[in-house]
Parts: sequence; C-alpha cells; structure tokens
Amino acid sequence: MSARSNLRVAVPKGTIFEDALRALEGAGLSVGVLREDGRKLFYESPGTEFIVGRPSDVPVYVEYGAADVGIAGKDVLEEQEPNVVELKDLGTGGCRMILAAPADKAAGVRQAIGHAEVVRVATKYPRTARRYFEGMGRQAEIIELRGSIELAPLVGLADCIVDLTATGTTLRENDLVVLDEISTSTARLIANRGAYRLRNREVAALVDAMEKSVSPLG
Amino acid sequence: MKQRMPRKFATTPGTRDVLPPESTRLFDVQARIRERFRLFGYGEVFTPALEYSEVIEEPKLRDASFKLFDPDNQMVMLRPEMTTPIARLVAQRLKNFPPPHKLSYVLPVYRRASVGRGQSAELYQAGVEVVGSPSPQEDAATIALLVDVLNALDLEAPGDFAVVLGHIAFYEAYLRHVAPEAATALLAALAAKDLVRVDVLAGGLPDEIATGVRGIPRLVGPATEGGVLEEAARLAAGAPEASMALENLREILRHLDAHGCLGTVILDLGLTGRHNYYTGAVFEAYAAGLGFTIANGGRYDNLLKRFGQDLPATGFAVYLERLLSVLPEEGASTLLVLVGGGLGGTKAATALRKRGVPTLHLPEDLEPHAAARYASAVDAGWVCYPTPEGVKLAASTPDARFEAVGIEDAAERVLGRAPQGVRR
Repeated sequence: MSARSNLRVAVPKGTIFEDALRALEGAGLSVGVLREDGRKLFYESPGTEFIVGRPSDVPVYVEYGAADVGIAGKDVLEEQEPNVVELKDLGTGGCRMILAAPADKAAGVRQAIGHAEVVRVATKYPRTARRYFEGMGRQAEIIELRGSIELAPLVGLADCIVDLTATGTTLRENDLVVLDEISTSTARLIANRGAYRLRNREVAALVDAMEKSVSPLG
Repeated sequence: MKQRMPRKFATTPGTRDVLPPESTRLFDVQARIRERFRLFGYGEVFTPALEYSEVIEEPKLRDASFKLFDPDNQMVMLRPEMTTPIARLVAQRLKNFPPPHKLSYVLPVYRRASVGRGQSAELYQAGVEVVGSPSPQEDAATIALLVDVLNALDLEAPGDFAVVLGHIAFYEAYLRHVAPEAATALLAALAAKDLVRVDVLAGGLPDEIATGVRGIPRLVGPATEGGVLEEAARLAAGAPEASMALENLREILRHLDAHGCLGTVILDLGLTGRHNYYTGAVFEAYAAGLGFTIANGGRYDNLLKRFGQDLPATGFAVYLERLLSVLPEEGASTLLVLVGGGLGGTKAATALRKRGVPTLHLPEDLEPHAAARYASAVDAGWVCYPTPEGVKLAASTPDARFEAVGIEDAAERVLGRAPQGVRR
C-alpha cells in the first residue's frame, strides 16, 4: 500500500447513507458523484476518494487504513470494538439496541431472566448481547443470525431477541414488546489511528466543518 | 484414488512458514537493526519463550496469550510481548550491576489471532529497554534510536513515517486536579480512543474545565511548531503536576532536537499508549499508507516494582513484519547461479565466492531456459556458465544476452549492479 494524496472516506450504504452524505456535504466535501451512479463502490472527486460499503464493513476499512475516515453507527462500533479513533457524534441515524420478546411470552421471559435461568437470545450482535447479559449477572445462550431476527422467537428458535430498532414498526408488526433498552446509537465519524495523526490537519478540519454544520442530538 | 491431505498438516491459524525471498529480507532487516542497536551500546538478550502466567499482568496481553502447563502443573504462557520478561530478567539477574541496563532483543512474540482479521499469532519484534534511569534524556534517546533504525532501513521522515509522541501523565494529572471524580471514566474513554465519550463526560463539568478536558486530548500537531505545547500549557494552567509533566515533555523535545530528529515527531496529547504499565512519555511510529503502528513504546516506571526492584524504565518494540511491508524496494538480487562445468565450474565458483559474490553452483548442465527458470525460483539476479577464460554471464531476466567476461569483471558487475541491501 502506498501513501495517498487525497483523503479517503468510507461511507455506509443502506439507511444511514443519505444522512452520511449530508454530513459530508455540509462539511464541504463534493459528494455529488456518489448520488450519480448507485452501483459503483469506489468514487473519486476533487480532493476526496469515497468507498461505499456495508455499514458493518466501514470500521474494517478504517481500522486497516484502507480508508482514512468513515461513518459508522455506534451499534456497529460497540459490537466490533475496532481499533479506531471515534471523533464526532453526527447525531443522525438514531436508533436503540433493545431486548424484546413476543407479547404473550414477555412475562415469562422477564421472570426467567429475573431468576437467572438461561434464556435463548437470537441476535445479529452477539458480543453486545453477551456483554448485556453478563453485565446483569445473567446467563444467555446466544444464537447469531444474519437477518430477520424477529422471526426467531415466533418459530421457537429463541425466547427473545437483542436487536436494533429505529421506529419500532417491525417489532409491532411481529407482535414483539420491548423488555429493556440496552443502549442508544447514532452515527459517528471515525478515523484510522495513523491517518488521524499523519493527516491531522485534514481530519481535524473535517471535524470542525461538521461541528459547524450539524447539531448532535446530545 | 485421490488422497486427501489431513487438515493438521497445515500450520495453525495465524502462523506460517516463511520462505526466501521474504525470509532473506526479514534476516537482512534484523541484521541491520542489530547493527544499529549495538552502535548505541545495547546488549542483546534472549529470554525463554515460556513464562509463568503470573509474570504477565496486563489483562489484554493475558487474554491474548497461548497458555499451557509445565511439568509442575503450573500455568505458563508463550510470551505475548518482551517488555515484561525483560523487566523480570533485570530484577532477577542484574540486581548487583550498576544501572542503567541497556538491553535489546530480536525475538518472536505470540498472541492468539482472531480468524478473518488478518492477524498473526507469531510476530517478530525488535526492541530495546533502558532500565534504571528516570532521565528524559533516555526517553529522547530511545526515540532517536527508533528514528535511526528506520532511517537505516531507508525510511525518511516526514514522507515515509512519523513518530507520534504523547505523555499520559499530563492529561491524567490535569484531570486529577480539575475533575477528580470524572478522571477514571475520562481516562477509560480516552484509552478506548472514544473522543465522543470524552466530549459527553466533559459536558457534565463546569464550562471552563470542560474546555480543557475536551481540548487537551484533541491537541495534535508537528513538534517543530510550538502550537500544541502552548495550547496545552494554557489549558492546564494552574494544575502543578500537569505542568511538571509538560516540562518533562519539553525536556524530551529539547533532546530530540539535539539528536536532530525533532522533524520526525508529531505531538498528540490524546495518545495513551496501549498498555496500562505506561507512566509518562509514550510514542507510536506510523508509516505512510499503513493503518497500523510499526513500532510503539514509552516510559514504564512502576513495572519493575512487581519484580521487587524499584527501577524506572523506558523502551520500544518494532513490529518487523509490518515494517517489512513498508520498506522501499531495492535492486535485483546479488545471488549468482553458476551452471554446471564440472571441475572448471567448481574452480569458477570458488573464485567468485573469494571475491564476495554469493554463488549457487548447480552440478547439472541446464539449458539457458531451464537455468533462468531455476534462477527466478531461488530469486537469483544472475546466471552464468563457466568458460576457460572466466564465465558467460547474463542477468536472470527474460531474453537477457550472455556475455563472456573474466571472473574479476563478473564479480564487479554482479556486486556493482545491486549494492548490499534489503530486497523486496
């Protein structure tokens, strides 16, 4: 790998893509190219290069230095614990990490957890789920799934789920109720450890510019 | 019938066999580093790969280490780093010798690697430890040695690398002074490199304190410009222990200037170092284009107490595999493949070796095409056939032409084209 002259930014596709673009645009980066052709994975614009990747891959690009900075949800950062510098809360993409169970079994699950019985939890976030249960001194059998977590308790694969929710619509549609809120999450600007120091002028300027254009929820 | 290779004939995850030319480069780099360490007066040691589990205290390193049991049924670890074993060695073996002890090592360390993260379980390190001196001059001298090592490997600052220097006692002393209740949480957030959390925690403090609590860890800039230190002094004014730490940092910078390597240093007052045992100046070296540190180190004044000796210390370790990945390419190999020729060939090989040419002599009379293929397989830069007057010599490149030259001439060409160095 050789040194780059332009700052390289990793942008997550999916639900926080537009918010991420707005934050970068507000900071003065020319993100127009990313809106033109939705199928490309790598874009160049004057002064900046962009990588578009899965939200959970953004921290990997940044940790390994394939991108200098990136935008990632706090939920992803808590799950992966990448060795990156967390610079700024963008305040967008707000969502909650929750523990939920089917409405008709909620009381039973609550009781089981209360009595330190082993409950079965389906989740896309195994480390977050494990930390949550260990933190309470409770035991859980964690089943990692890649999608449609809501299905697991309905078909008897798990007693409850640990998942991310923004509006709660999917939970309601599947008749799941929230038992506990584990954490809240917003989008963060992250930087590679080397890039943060070697290109500090550019990175700090980006943080400052975002500071002026976005107002975090607090 | 197709035979299936048993899975356990591979190497375990994170480990690998290292072959030429990579192994040659690794040995060349090690030799070059040893030379620099000796020039600065360090004595090289090696310690057992196995240590009692109690020796290593850092939770992260304990978690990452391979554990097994010795014949007394005691838990032992494959050393996950070298600083602690050397601290143990100094406390046990050098009790009656006058400090400071200047020791170096070039050894592999072992850490359990996560699958799919591109990590190695066996990492080659080269490093030094200076045990028994609290002087900031030693902090500067170890950093200067690190810069010297990188320079000796043809890396030049600021284009190729930078040393990032921080001081963990500064921010810690400042916090203990202005916000003692929040200090622990703030230091934990900073250790996790979570500046957002630092901001949030600072939000709960009075405004004039919050400015410093937020601002200090974000102070980053070249050491040649005074801005970072001035701003730090302004923010931490009125916290006496923080001022002492800052003065310590200034003294280190003055000595780095005297070493002529201030230009390689970037100050970062948010840098905490990766281990809990650090107590003062900490530093990491980054290479342009590589997302990881190529070296790290710092002052650890309390580690030796655990082993019964109260000695202040500082040192660093270089990650050799990462370093290799950023070294500039050098010219073709000086290895010469001498093909066949019977007794005449043997005489020519002896004559070439006498003149310092690394010569691989093949007894088989290979055709030029096969000889070139062999030369490229062993990473040789040259091929030759013996003649009564000398050799027929060619570079081992496709369609290179053979030229009849005398032995003396051949030696000059082979050695002249590629000076001794680290090859890629």
